[in-house]
Amino acid sequence: MRKKIYLMGVFLVIAVAISMILVNIYTRQPTPSLKQRIVVYAYNDKITGIDPSIEDDTGLVVLGSIYETLTYYDYKTGAVKPRLAINWSVDSGGKEWMFQLRRGVKFHDGTPFNATAVKISIERARDIYRETGRGMGYIWDAVEEIEIIDEYTIKFILKYPQRLDLLASGSYAAYIFSPSVIEKANVTSYMDEKLEDWFNSGNAIGTGPYKLISYDPTREIRLEKYDEWWGWKEINNPNAPDIVIIKIVTEPVAQYNGLLSGEIDIASSIPRENVRMLLEKGFKAINLPTYHNFILFFNTKRYPTNIREFRLAIAHALDISRVIRDALLGYGKPASGIIPHEFPGHVEGLTYEYDLAEARNYLNASGVKLPVTINLLYQVDYEETRKFAEIFKSMMAELGIIVELNPQDWARLKDIAKGVWTSPEETPHLVVADWWPTIPSPYDYLYTMLHSDSKEWNFAGFENKAFDELIDSAWILEGEDYAKAMELYEQAQRLVHEDAVVIGLWDEVRPFVYSSRINMPEDALNPLYMFVIRFELVEVRL
Amino acid sequence: MPVSLNYIFKRIILSILVILGVIVFSYLLLMLSPGDPAVKWAGNPRGPGATKAIELAREELGLNKPLYMQIVNFIYNFLTGNLGLSIAYKIPVSQVIVSGFAATLELMLFTYFFSVPLGIWLGIYSAINRGSRIDSFIQSISIILASTPTFWLGSLLLLASNSLTGFFPYGRVSSKLALSTGFTPITGFYLLDSLIQGNIQVFIDVLVRLIPPALTISVYPIGVLARVTRTLVAEALLEDYVRAAVAWGIKRKTIIRQFVLRSIVPPVIQISGLSFVYSLVDAMVVETVVFGREGLGSILIDSLHKADFRVTLALAVYLTAFYIIVNTLVDIVQATIDPRIRL
Repeated sequence: MRKKIYLMGVFLVIAVAISMILVNIYTRQPTPSLKQRIVVYAYNDKITGIDPSIEDDTGLVVLGSIYETLTYYDYKTGAVKPRLAINWSVDSGGKEWMFQLRRGVKFHDGTPFNATAVKISIERARDIYRETGRGMGYIWDAVEEIEIIDEYTIKFILKYPQRLDLLASGSYAAYIFSPSVIEKANVTSYMDEKLEDWFNSGNAIGTGPYKLISYDPTREIRLEKYDEWWGWKEINNPNAPDIVIIKIVTEPVAQYNGLLSGEIDIASSIPRENVRMLLEKGFKAINLPTYHNFILFFNTKRYPTNIREFRLAIAHALDISRVIRDALLGYGKPASGIIPHEFPGHVEGLTYEYDLAEARNYLNASGVKLPVTINLLYQVDYEETRKFAEIFKSMMAELGIIVELNPQDWARLKDIAKGVWTSPEETPHLVVADWWPTIPSPYDYLYTMLHSDSKEWNFAGFENKAFDELIDSAWILEGEDYAKAMELYEQAQRLVHEDAVVIGLWDEVRPFVYSSRINMPEDALNPLYMFVIRFELVEVRL
Repeated sequence: MPVSLNYIFKRIILSILVILGVIVFSYLLLMLSPGDPAVKWAGNPRGPGATKAIELAREELGLNKPLYMQIVNFIYNFLTGNLGLSIAYKIPVSQVIVSGFAATLELMLFTYFFSVPLGIWLGIYSAINRGSRIDSFIQSISIILASTPTFWLGSLLLLASNSLTGFFPYGRVSSKLALSTGFTPITGFYLLDSLIQGNIQVFIDVLVRLIPPALTISVYPIGVLARVTRTLVAEALLEDYVRAAVAWGIKRKTIIRQFVLRSIVPPVIQISGLSFVYSLVDAMVVETVVFGREGLGSILIDSLHKADFRVTLALAVYLTAFYIIVNTLVDIVQATIDPRIRL
């Protein structure tokens, strides 16, 4: 028997040794057939759909490489730049827009790009929204008629003045798809519901620098360089990736491991505490200041958060710089109001100074007897909101306010939070939610989160006619007098600030960490097109 | 015949009742908890049309009907094979589940391929040497193995494999390698698929990535099987017929093979079956959280987070069916090999 044990032991040692050698040989040998420039980009969520007219969530990360918009928003200068449209003009006080389209552009299936494609793409997004409320087609609400002047000229007639050049750069509902989809999908009209299924089952025909070659929304999406893209001659990047794999890696730790193993080239969600370690190992990072911000909503319909002084007490007891240091490890910028820094309409100074004495004064003035218990609803999916909740609880304890924590995933959080309109007494006193925009307009943030008609997203239950009128007027004025519109947006924000209905917490700074075999310029990222990487600008060493 | 038709009939009826119970219970639980699938189906709508979009979505999903009608509809759709589209990803539910199921099952089968024989062998060896140092050692190890938190062990193995080999066994297969060698999943079982395609590079890659999660998951079945087998063998060794055999001078090896092992096979099969199903839960956690592999774990967590009740319910039904099938198979195998058992 002893002999057997001995033999077994020897066998085991040999087996382990062989497997280790195998692993070593295998992992060290260069893969000879890797002649193509392949980039694996780890994205942190599964894809919710790729219908260019309807998709309004994570599909953006795919759509942004396959499709193009008429214009492009340059977040650094705030300028609108040509893309599929080369120039444009506006008339009749912002109600008539004429776009000259780029010539010689072809869709991925060879169909020529022209005014018809623009008309059907925008009409589809708009009409689906009008009929069903789905997607982001509301950005085209003002568009009454689209007139094809000639193959490369298109005219938009609006119901009310709008900055159509800005809207046309939107990150959703502004993508131009090929008119040939109707034939390929075997449907009778662009409004046919089967067309949505066709897109979502992995079909896409855009004009962008990359075309879709395989689609598994839960695992990975493969894109291939589109050699006939019009922009290659302008960019002149012979080292752009031939193949892009967008790999769904939901766990930040798994993204970190993937980078280390060489499996992933670009990671979008690395645990913040590991970024420095990666940089020390030779990885590179772009810290992108984003338009993704976090907001604290007060339930204005429930005691005691319905008392302005009580809300101000909380606002002054909240030390945002500590939150950014401890919860975000520096990857955030203290917010000023609910419109992020550098975004149109952002106003400086809409903050509450951390001052416990001031907080106590407001608390006394509120008439709320201590101890008082309030509850905080927050999203469990974000590590930073989890940490924030703990820190917030300890900060409020200093004031004598007891905070009960209510962590939920996004679907449940939204369902509970919107209860402020129907059952405010059962809805938590405080909600932490996040937002990123569709179009570069303050209306995107202000309407959605604070307008009294926005009952799905206004988690404060805030109703203020003056505020509504200000932002509605500003929205229409954007097309006529942009500067005046910005003034109105500012007034509206000051009104909210004085009332302390919401507190802007922080604007996210997101580190995109990438391998040293990649060269990624800062321009490859744009906070309006969150998580989209302009792979055409990325250089890959073989 | 050890398995009667009556038994099979009863088992089928019972299984159907259990599945129906799971559907009703899960459906009620999902619908009564916060998280509106209609919001997700409508795509988190914004703007002035948001409320309308949610109402239309509710209608389309049949969520505006009474709960019992919704359940009846779900059962009807399930039976007719029409699970519909996933709420979150807008692709067929079956497509979402099948790929994850193959990934998890491959991991489970690979794990059990070595952990069952190893656990049994340790148990037998420990029992026939009971009272010795090696027996104490095996007993201690099996307790430790059965009670080791798997995701701690998984993380440790991940780090160890990195520091020993410079390789992170992350994911199921290298995307770059799969792409450059033209590997295409056929059955979803990558080991098998790579063999069918004669793609040795991918086969090794898949194998290397399977080992750490499989080792992680294997600790529970190895530990449990070693403990149970030891007890069973030790008890069998004290039976009169074994002692008589010893008195008759029959060789020790023959006694172990002919008398002892035969008597422990049915309970060992039962324990293996039960621990297989239990390990499925372990696999679902470890594969996703630690090793970044796709599988049923990530699908289930995601479907719950995203109020994708169609996927959650389908998974609940499939997992229940899987549990029932494994247990039924275990009973049938037991009855087939043990003439004392009549089903």
